[in-house]
Amino acid sequence: MLTEQERERYARQIPLFGEEGQDRLKGAKVFIAGAGGLGCPIALYLAVAGVGEIRIADRDTVERTNLNRQVLHRESDIGELKARSAEAKLREANPDIHVKAFATTIDETNVRHLVDDADLIVDAMDNFPTRYLLNREALQSGVPLVHGAIRGFDGQATTIIPGRTACLECIFPEAPPAEVCPVVGTTPGVIGLIQANEVIKYLLGKEDLLAGRLLLWDGLATTLETYTVERRPDCPACSPGVRS
Amino acid sequence: MKVRVKAFARFREILGSDLSIDLPDGAVMATALSALRDIAGDESGIIFDEDGALRAHVILMRNGKRVKRSDLDTLVLADGDEVAIFPPVAGG
Repeated sequence: MLTEQERERYARQIPLFGEEGQDRLKGAKVFIAGAGGLGCPIALYLAVAGVGEIRIADRDTVERTNLNRQVLHRESDIGELKARSAEAKLREANPDIHVKAFATTIDETNVRHLVDDADLIVDAMDNFPTRYLLNREALQSGVPLVHGAIRGFDGQATTIIPGRTACLECIFPEAPPAEVCPVVGTTPGVIGLIQANEVIKYLLGKEDLLAGRLLLWDGLATTLETYTVERRPDCPACSPGVRS
Repeated sequence: MKVRVKAFARFREILGSDLSIDLPDGAVMATALSALRDIAGDESGIIFDEDGALRAHVILMRNGKRVKRSDLDTLVLADGDEVAIFPPVAGG
């Protein structure tokens, strides 16, 4: 049930999906892995859209080199934990939602607890090993995973529905070499908002998600393409009997 | 015959974003990759390993469908085919 303040706050989007849709967002719990370039816009837009519980995890502290793209963090936050900095900005952006921040490294020992009873996992990480961990947790718990990643002017995104679509290891069986990625802030902005849009659509029960499709954004050419991605029968993560 | 190649992310910087390569009729995917190796020149090591094989993380598609490594020598291309080649990006 929405309060009067919430009806007013969401007055411009309730006509799109009704109070029932808004109530669904209010009742939703989303786990965002990472409060960096992708995590900041994802969390901010989900917060102002009225997603009722946002859990956000990041182990790092804010550095000046983050500030060209990690739009929740400010000059005055340098040295502060990103999880705390993000939490403060999200509460300020929307006091009607619950924000839980975890200043922790996401690993095998805590990923289950962090995901807990979330409706969705959002991959806003900066490395493939943790992405693969989120993917495995999504498969085990049956919670969908919205993947995004960026480099330079380029980005990719897909939505993984466990048991139905290709999983992250079906699509990317091998991680690319680790590197310090060059990046302009607009790239995680574009990809992060595509991910946030996927979250909102999923929570509202809308069709035509990026499920089974890999989106590629080329910010230099300003092109956006999607490719069909299929499950791999020999995928070590999601194929029955091939679990490793 | 002509095959269109779309490269993304780092590979676009090396190969160009949208190129067309001329191949003999009946050419297989491995022949197309050989042509791309030549185009990549000094930077081919980012896409191919020392033995000339595609690096493990590279994604290769033909007409929107994933191409398996085991099919590279047998998959016959046709005039007008579109090959997409890209690495996963990993940043966040």
